[in-house]
Amino acid sequence: MGYVNDTAMSLYVPPTLFHCVTGTWTQAAGQVAGTIVKKVNDANQTSTINIPIPVPSNSVALKGSLLKSIEIDFEIVTAAMEEVTAVVNKVTRGANTAVAVVAPQTFTYDTGNNTAAKRYAVGKHRMTLTITTPFWVDNDEEVLVELTVNQAGDTGVIELLGAVANFTLRM
Amino acid sequence: MGYVHDTAMSQYIPPTAMHYVTGTWTQAAGAVTDTICMHKAAGANTPVVTIPIMLPSNSVALKGSYLKTIEIDYTLAAAGATSVTAVLNKVTRGADTAVAVVSVPAITQDLAAGVAAATQDEHKLTVTLTTPEWIDNDVYFLLQLTLVCGGTVTIDILGAVANFTLRI
Repeated sequence: MGYVNDTAMSLYVPPTLFHCVTGTWTQAAGQVAGTIVKKVNDANQTSTINIPIPVPSNSVALKGSLLKSIEIDFEIVTAAMEEVTAVVNKVTRGANTAVAVVAPQTFTYDTGNNTAAKRYAVGKHRMTLTITTPFWVDNDEEVLVELTVNQAGDTGVIELLGAVANFTLRM
Repeated sequence: MGYVHDTAMSQYIPPTAMHYVTGTWTQAAGAVTDTICMHKAAGANTPVVTIPIMLPSNSVALKGSYLKTIEIDYTLAAAGATSVTAVLNKVTRGADTAVAVVSVPAITQDLAAGVAAATQDEHKLTVTLTTPEWIDNDVYFLLQLTLVCGGTVTIDILGAVANFTLRI
């Protein structure tokens, strides 16, 4: 029996899977007809959005998914935010009775979003987070991309279209 | 190294992953014990349910997922709807600062929109792509279901299944 080692795999993560805390979030049509978004109300608030990355994992070392980068599609409309920042968290699940352990992973932003001002500017964003050291996702791990979005003092809102995880699949 | 070419793959998409606009929708137990659904309360309106097709994609041509059909399980209760119409939107993501572009691949639905798909009953609606498509990494598909409802009809969305060939 052979095996698969495909270095060009991607997985779309729809906005309906995003976990949004603080603010009033609604499902709505996107700016482009036929697209969908999750959008927040216009208010002086800081929201936390967690994007689960549901790629296949594997209990054997060096198998399953080698997570390399994550792209997040969003649009900021009406006015700029005051902050849009990302963190890539690798969560190692706890055994029964034990807590989970979170380890932020080092990454770089793409050149179009590599400063605070670029990230919170009005417009359409395709923000790529490239993991400095790609890692194989163990069956006891899960990956969450956490976005912090600060609307304080502004009248703009953010609309989340979705995300795409890029990985090597080996099995 | 071998490779996989499986023509019989399917992916269940739960109702909790779907996107609901218009109407009052709640998570509820299904009509059959131990099933789940998203339930729309009675009300004369036209909700739009969008189903994200969450399949592996690939940046290499002719690899990844080859989308062929999508099945949607739903129930219309209390009364029939006026129509239940499916549209498949293919979204090509924009580069940074650019808009996404939506095209509409041709499909057929096995239950006619204003007839068999709209009766008061349990439904398994199959949407078939006229030309199946390999999903590029810069593309995703959204199946949009528009349900024109009179004042008494309620809707339960149970889930969907995408059928595809996997080649990796």
